[in-house]
Amino acid sequence: MGKSAVLSLRKIWKIYEMGDVRVNALRDFSLDILEGDYMVVMGPSGSGKSTFLQITGCLDKPTQGEVLIDGVNTSNMTDNQLAAIRNKKLGFVFQSFNLLSKMTAQENSALPLIYSGVSRKKRMNRAKELLEQVGLGDRIRHRPNELSGGQQQRVAIARALANDPPVVLADEPTGNLDSKSSEEILNILKTLHESGKTIIVVTHDPDMIHQGNTVVHILDGQIEKIERKS
Amino acid sequence: MELFMESLRSLYANKLRTFLSMLGIIIGVTAMIAVVSIGQGATASITERISSLGSNVFMISPGYSGGSSGRAYVNLSDVLTKKDVENIKMLCPNIKGVSPLIQQRFSLKYGTNNTSSQIYAIYPDFFQILNLDLESGRKINQEDIDDYAKVGVIGKDIANDLFGTENPLGKTVYMTVSVGNTNKTIPIQIVGALVQTGSKLIYNPDKMLIIPFTTAEGRIVNTRGSVSTILASAISPEVSERVYLEIDQVLYMRLHDSTKYSITSQDSILGAVSEVTGIMNLFLGSIAAISLLVGGIGIMNIMLVSVSERTREIGIKKALGATRKRILMEFLIESVMITFIAGLLGILLGTALSKMVEIAASAYALKTQVTWDSIIIAFGTASLIGLFFGIYPASKASKLSPLEALRYE
Repeated sequence: MGKSAVLSLRKIWKIYEMGDVRVNALRDFSLDILEGDYMVVMGPSGSGKSTFLQITGCLDKPTQGEVLIDGVNTSNMTDNQLAAIRNKKLGFVFQSFNLLSKMTAQENSALPLIYSGVSRKKRMNRAKELLEQVGLGDRIRHRPNELSGGQQQRVAIARALANDPPVVLADEPTGNLDSKSSEEILNILKTLHESGKTIIVVTHDPDMIHQGNTVVHILDGQIEKIERKS
Repeated sequence: MELFMESLRSLYANKLRTFLSMLGIIIGVTAMIAVVSIGQGATASITERISSLGSNVFMISPGYSGGSSGRAYVNLSDVLTKKDVENIKMLCPNIKGVSPLIQQRFSLKYGTNNTSSQIYAIYPDFFQILNLDLESGRKINQEDIDDYAKVGVIGKDIANDLFGTENPLGKTVYMTVSVGNTNKTIPIQIVGALVQTGSKLIYNPDKMLIIPFTTAEGRIVNTRGSVSTILASAISPEVSERVYLEIDQVLYMRLHDSTKYSITSQDSILGAVSEVTGIMNLFLGSIAAISLLVGGIGIMNIMLVSVSERTREIGIKKALGATRKRILMEFLIESVMITFIAGLLGILLGTALSKMVEIAASAYALKTQVTWDSIIIAFGTASLIGLFFGIYPASKASKLSPLEALRYE
C-alpha cells in the first residue's frame, strides 16, 4: 500500500460504569486509519461508534489499549499535550454544530487559531479565507442564530480546518440537516478528501456509504466488517 | 490581551448579571473610600482645632485624692494659687506666657438683648497662650489687673447676639453670675472685640467674655486665693517637653506631691484623640472590608453559575485545543475584571460620596481626604478578592473533561 497509518487504535477497551452496570462500549477494538482515507463508520445506536470517534479524537481516554497518532502513543500524554494534538492535528465537526452563540461566524472559525497562538489579524484573515472556501464569504459577520443549519455546519467545517489539520473527524455531520444541506456538506467533505485530508465520518445515514473509500461497520463495540474500495 | 478582550466581551454579553455581581464590590469599595476619607478628614480637622489652641499649650489643674480603697474622692480645688502662677512665670525660662483661669457661667444683658455663656477671668498672657487676635479695641492689660477694672474683651458670637451690627466698643453690658444661691450683677465696659476663630475644640473664643482675673476674684467669685486652672505655653514646640518638666519641678517644689496637680499638654490631648479616631477608622474600615468580602462571595457565586452555564462552551473550546491553563485564565481574568471595574467605579463613587459629605458638613469645616493609600488599598483588596474568589470557579471550569462538557445540555 505504501500509505502510513495517521491514526492507529490498538486493542482498545472502553468500559463505562453506570451505577452497577458496566457497559463495554468498545471491546478489543483495533483499527488503522491510513493517510488519505475517507472512512465512514456505520452502526446502530449504542454500537460504540461515538465512543470510537471520541477516543480517536483524543476527547476521551480508553480504559485499556493505545491510540497512536502519526505513530506516537498518546496513552501517557498530559492534558496539555492532548489539547495540542486536538488543536493542530484534528478537526472536529459535530452533529449539533457546537458553535459559540456569542461569536460571529468569523470568530467561531478562528477559535482554534487562538489556542495555537496566531495573532488576531492573521486569525481573522484565515477565517475569512476558510469561510469563503465553504461558500459563506458573505456571512462572516453573522452569528450562529442568524444562519441556517447547513450554514452553521459549514462554519463548523471552516473551524475544523483552521489549523489545517491532516485529519477531520465528523460525528453525524448531517444528522440535524435537511437533504439539500446534507448534500452540500457531503460535497465539502468530498472536496476536502480530494485535497488530501484524511476524513473519518461516524453516521447511520446509509447514503454516506457511497462517499467513503473505506466503510467500517461496528456492532456491540467490535468491528463487524471493513469494506475497502480502491 | 486577547484574553482581556474576550472576557470583556463575555462580561458585556451579560450586562445585567455583570453589574449585579459588581454591585457588592462597588458598595464595598465606595464605603471603604468614603469611610477612610471622612475619617481622615475628621481626624485632620480635630487635630487642626486642637493645634489651633496655640502651639504647646499646657493646662495645669488640681489633682484629687482618694476615690479608691474606701477613701472619699476629694477634688483638691484649693491646691493651686496665684503664687504658683508667679513661680512658673519666674522659674521656667522656656515659658512664653502663663495665666490663671476662672471659668464661670454668666448671663449678659445689653438693652433688651440677653445671652449667656462663660466668663474667662485671666491675666494678659492669656491672649498669646491661645493665639487670640483682636478685631478692634485693646486687650486686657496689666493695669486692668491692678485696678480690678470692670472691662471685658468680647467674642464674635456674643457680640453678634448682644449688639447685632452695632460696634460693641465702649458699650456697657450687665453681667450676672450666680454664685451659690445669690446672683451678682456687675457692669462691664467692652474695650476689645476678638476676631472670629471658630471652635478650638476645648475653648471657643467666639463665645468668650474675657475679663481681668482680679475683677472676677475680687468682685464676683470668692476663690479664697486659689486658682482652678493655670494655662501656660512654651516658647516653641521644640522645648515643650522641657517646659513640661520645668512646670512639674516648680509645682513639686512647693507641693511635694505629684498627685496634687496634673499637667495636661496639647500633645497628650492630641495623642488621646488620635488614638480614638484611629480606633474609629479601623472599626469603620473593617465594616467596609466585610462588605467587600460579601461582594467577593457574590462574585464566586456568579462565576460558579457562569461555569455551569457555559459548560458546553468550555467543552467546545477544549475540543478545539484550549488547554486547562487557558480556560483557567479565561475565567480568572473575567472575575478579576469584574472586581477591577467595580473597584474603579467604587473609587469614583466613594470620592463623590466623600465630596458630598464634605459639602453637607461644610458647617463643621470638615475636609475629607481621599488619599492614594486608601485608593490603592481598596483597589488592591478588590482585585485580590476577584482573584481569590475567582480561583475556585475557574479551576472547576478548567478541570471539566472536554467530553463531559460537550455532552452537557
